Amino acid sequence: MKVKVAAKILEANDRIALENRKIFDGAGVFVVNLMSGPGAGKTSLLEKTLAKKDGLRIGVIEGDIAGSDDAERIEKFGAPVVQINTGGACHLDANMISDVLDDLPLNEIDLLFIENVGNLVCPAEFKVGEDMKVMLLSIAEGHDKPLKYPLMFQESSALVINKIDLAPYVDVDVSKIRKDALSLNPGLKMFEVSCRTGEGLDAWVQWLRETAGKHRVS
Amino acid sequence: MHEVSIAANLLEIVSEQCRKEGYRKIESIHLKIGRASGIMTDALLFAFDAIKTDSLAKDAVLMIDEIAVSGRCRDCGRNFTVEEEYVLQCPVCGGASFQVSGGRELDIVDMEVS
Repeated sequence: MKVKVAAKILEANDRIALENRKIFDGAGVFVVNLMSGPGAGKTSLLEKTLAKKDGLRIGVIEGDIAGSDDAERIEKFGAPVVQINTGGACHLDANMISDVLDDLPLNEIDLLFIENVGNLVCPAEFKVGEDMKVMLLSIAEGHDKPLKYPLMFQESSALVINKIDLAPYVDVDVSKIRKDALSLNPGLKMFEVSCRTGEGLDAWVQWLRETAGKHRVS
Repeated sequence: MHEVSIAANLLEIVSEQCRKEGYRKIESIHLKIGRASGIMTDALLFAFDAIKTDSLAKDAVLMIDEIAVSGRCRDCGRNFTVEEEYVLQCPVCGGASFQVSGGRELDIVDMEVS
């Protein structure tokens, strides 16, 4: 006998993500799901952002397959941080975030970064309760990435192009990255930065401050 | 890349409905998987076969409709589908203003039970 199911396979995750979102909204926390391939500089970007936070209260959830190196780097800046080890899973999901919410002082945080597992594919498919997704691409990864991994570029509100100081040394066409990313996602906000030299970081932090601030007022 | 967790979610949803409605066995499951969903159907079939043992769906086969990426152009007003997993411009008029409407599905449609 045929019976109708009519379900989304990811609906359980989406439901938990919505519950997380309500908790974040209730505490007045703006949440950024930060995604990139391994080694693009997610933790470095967070370190540089924390160094320029200037009154903005930032918390961090670190997602890694194993280890606590990233959380230790964040802790040095005095920011509340929780490390999640996925034990092999290639992305964070809503349930993993739900499990650590009690470990963060949400009422004392304005902006929460959820640093996803380094991976250009899977993190884009799972909501965790974020207000927006931001992705990071280092130029040495190559200008073919937007068309090879379109979903992440489509899902993100902003693209931070990192390691821009390496441009003279690698065969990469940064304008192609910008053009293809914008074709995939015409509303995408883009920043070119170097976490090493500090170039471009002020514009990123300024935008972040304005975006998180708008959310708190509304 | 995470087809095993997708397969596990799928197995949980259909098993629960099967139990709730008092059926003993799931014989087949009909899915719609969008080509831009990030899920490879071969890997999903493999993962589902690996985890379905000892469940109500232990003999179940998956029937998968792959859904092409489709959309509607705001410039020329036409509906279109593309071969790729993404759309960069309207394939009819080349316009850059379009709405992608299909291709992200990860849906369970129905199942055959006994």
